[in-house]
Amino acid sequence: MAAFLRSKCSSVGRTLMGGLGNNLFGAVNSHVEAVTRPSYCDAICQQVRTFIQMRTNLKVVDNSGAKRVMCIQSLRGKKGARLGDTIIGSVKEAQPRGKVKKGDVVYGVVVRAAMKRGRNDGSEIQFDDNAVVLVNNKGELIGTRVFGPVPHELRKKKHLKILALAEHVV
Amino acid sequence: MRLEKCWFCSSTVYPGHGIQFVRNDAKVFRFCRSKCHKNFKMKRNPRKVKWTKAYRCLHGKDMTQDSTFEFERKRNRPERYDRNVTEQTLKAIPLITKIRHERQKKHITNRQKQGKTKERERDAKELEQDIQMLPKKDVMLSTQKTKVVVKVSQQQTEENLMEE
Repeated sequence: MAAFLRSKCSSVGRTLMGGLGNNLFGAVNSHVEAVTRPSYCDAICQQVRTFIQMRTNLKVVDNSGAKRVMCIQSLRGKKGARLGDTIIGSVKEAQPRGKVKKGDVVYGVVVRAAMKRGRNDGSEIQFDDNAVVLVNNKGELIGTRVFGPVPHELRKKKHLKILALAEHVV
Repeated sequence: MRLEKCWFCSSTVYPGHGIQFVRNDAKVFRFCRSKCHKNFKMKRNPRKVKWTKAYRCLHGKDMTQDSTFEFERKRNRPERYDRNVTEQTLKAIPLITKIRHERQKKHITNRQKQGKTKERERDAKELEQDIQMLPKKDVMLSTQKTKVVVKVSQQQTEENLMEE
């Protein structure tokens, strides 16, 4: 019952944000979780993009079976994870008969982040959403495909398999 | 190192400047500065914003078609380094830019011609309408001058007739 109520509340909150572009609500929420929102909302409420930290929801862009992962720990340090960093997450939504189930604790590599990240040449790169590719504790991929664009910075982090499987490298 | 063009204002994005935005369909939008990025986030159309290259080209304000623009092109095949070619290119760059600037100047003067003729017509009309507003001395002077001119022309015609 409690879970049901919470889910209802969160959905109401999200519609409020989407409809009214309530900046205050967004600011409060961004501390707790940086939900990946569709791009039409971005223009209305210019949310401050933050690190991927505890309770950040991330989209899973491989065919491991998970759809949404919530960050429960970033393996980066105090501030949180950024583009190319590894996180620990718990699977919140999963497809049936996938390699991972709902409630599993998994490792993941952040392949897209909405917060901008400086590049080696001094420019910056920013993506549409927060996305993750699931790996095991040795850094091997769980799925066999990677969807969408990934940054070439993963080469430096020695995730060559992700780069090889990716559709686009930018 | 490749010098990219800004998606919004079409200016050159030099290394170390600007920001790249990658959409989920892997289209890369490059911006030269935060001004352009902000305008993109506001969903503005660069063809409708007056300070962009797209607007200026669309409305005929800048020279768009010229052979001097042909040199600057996106080439996907890297050129093999050749000392002579490089030297010649470096010599050619200032020459080409000079020619381009001259042509741009010409383009602007051509565009201003129309306005200038219109201005002249407007001035003539104003003079005709409001000539009584001038102090009488000036008017007398101007009329006398015209009379003199007429006399000269008449004399000339008379002379011509005499000759004939």
